[in-house]
Amino acid sequence: MEIDIRELETYQQLAHDGARSAAQSLSQLTGIETRVQVTDVSLMSPSSLEYEFIGDDFAGVNIDLSGEIAGEVVLAFDDTARRAITDTLVPADDPEKKKSSIKEVGNIMTSGFVDGWANYLEAKIKSSPPRYIQGSGKDILPKSATDSDTHLFVFRSRVEASKGAEPIDFRILLVPDSTSIKRSLEPKTDNIVSLEKLEVFNDMTKEGAEKSAANISSMTGIETTVNISRLSLMPIKDIPKEVGSKRYVGTVMEFRGKIGGYLVILFDQPSGRAVVDALVPMETDKDWGETEQGALRELGNIMTSGFVDGWANVLNGEIKHSPPKFVADTGESILRPITSKLAQTDDHAFMLDSNIQTDGNQVFTCQMLALPRRAELEDALDELLLENVGNSQVNPEDLF
Amino acid sequence: MDVLITDDSGFMRDLLREILEEDHNIVGEAENGVEAVELYQEQQPDIVFMDIVMPIKDGIEATDEITDMDPNATVVMCTSVEQAEQMKDSIKAGAEGYITKPFQKESVLEEINSIAAK
Repeated sequence: MEIDIRELETYQQLAHDGARSAAQSLSQLTGIETRVQVTDVSLMSPSSLEYEFIGDDFAGVNIDLSGEIAGEVVLAFDDTARRAITDTLVPADDPEKKKSSIKEVGNIMTSGFVDGWANYLEAKIKSSPPRYIQGSGKDILPKSATDSDTHLFVFRSRVEASKGAEPIDFRILLVPDSTSIKRSLEPKTDNIVSLEKLEVFNDMTKEGAEKSAANISSMTGIETTVNISRLSLMPIKDIPKEVGSKRYVGTVMEFRGKIGGYLVILFDQPSGRAVVDALVPMETDKDWGETEQGALRELGNIMTSGFVDGWANVLNGEIKHSPPKFVADTGESILRPITSKLAQTDDHAFMLDSNIQTDGNQVFTCQMLALPRRAELEDALDELLLENVGNSQVNPEDLF
Repeated sequence: MDVLITDDSGFMRDLLREILEEDHNIVGEAENGVEAVELYQEQQPDIVFMDIVMPIKDGIEATDEITDMDPNATVVMCTSVEQAEQMKDSIKAGAEGYITKPFQKESVLEEINSIAAK
């Protein structure tokens, strides 16, 4: 199936406007100030989606859509957001009424989210009555996501709000069904990509991230796995916000060849320290001195090869990367110089986002973000032969 | 054997030195392809361990220059790159072996021993 990327951009913008409308509804109902942080459209596996709801107790609503866009919407508040809303709307200690308030708030907000789409399409989108959902991981996912083992198209919005000094967070997910995707994204312009090839490329990226995770384990002895791997389309200006204001250490590389772009490897500070301690068997600086930076650069170098070599092999070409540059700053500040360069030619970008963590807990986290130049990615996808997909790994002994 | 180590990462040069210096003579360490070519001319080592991704001049170009100067030079690529096309370019440039990072001590010793046995 071929999809129109320009249409996808339009739907991403509609989802962003819808999230803003939903956020305004929340502000009107509760007085809580809100700000839509980022909206993207992602191609991801159900397990990657599930991982976004691990680690907190979420509550919200699940609503079925039918009509021009059919599928499911999930609106989920984290625990702090849920308490802020219910305490404002139902001060009395009445669990049923609190639950009912979440359902109603979710219902009103979802209408705000969906109505813009219906107006754009000049068609009806009907919503089912809201179902209350609570829990984490799978409990929160749309049913269509838990039933599926294929890639999902997901419109994801993250909204930050503040109740007094306390930041709160909620997410809106729209998972359209395949018929709706086919109908909405049917080619209308020349900007067309094959959905199957996007899915294959996403799988190749996950394989690359898994290779990088194996390289971390091999070099440091820290056992890691890839928990999230997704391909997202989003406005370039929103990419720094997506990474956020947390401080990171890591490396930035530029790659050129069959595909060009940037790769950013970010460790949160404790994870960066854990990696350096494992790599350098002696007392190191508490700051990031030359030894620490050198160790992280070398790890970045090896992880980058693990990540991009599979693409090069499947595309029958070369992808060369620059020596890694050490970075230590907030995620936003690290990403801004890169997005400024990408924004010279495009307004939206594809971002390949993989999250590597230690098995079973979240002590160690590493985020790998690949930002290919869009035209080069689209050309590469055009050239991609699906029958070559098995060629991602090459053994030097076969050639030497 | 006299060994020249070429890698832009001091961390990786230290690691290779640690593995090799017990049985071999490290005659120099280069941080990029230009230094590798210069040190090769000065030291005429028996074997060069050569990274690929380096600033100023990459390892494939440096290998090409070294084997042009000395067709008997022995260069083993020691890199994280696992791309078929860059492996083929390394062979064209004259490399005789290819070790991928992260490596085990044994794979480095096996490579150097097999070259010594030739």
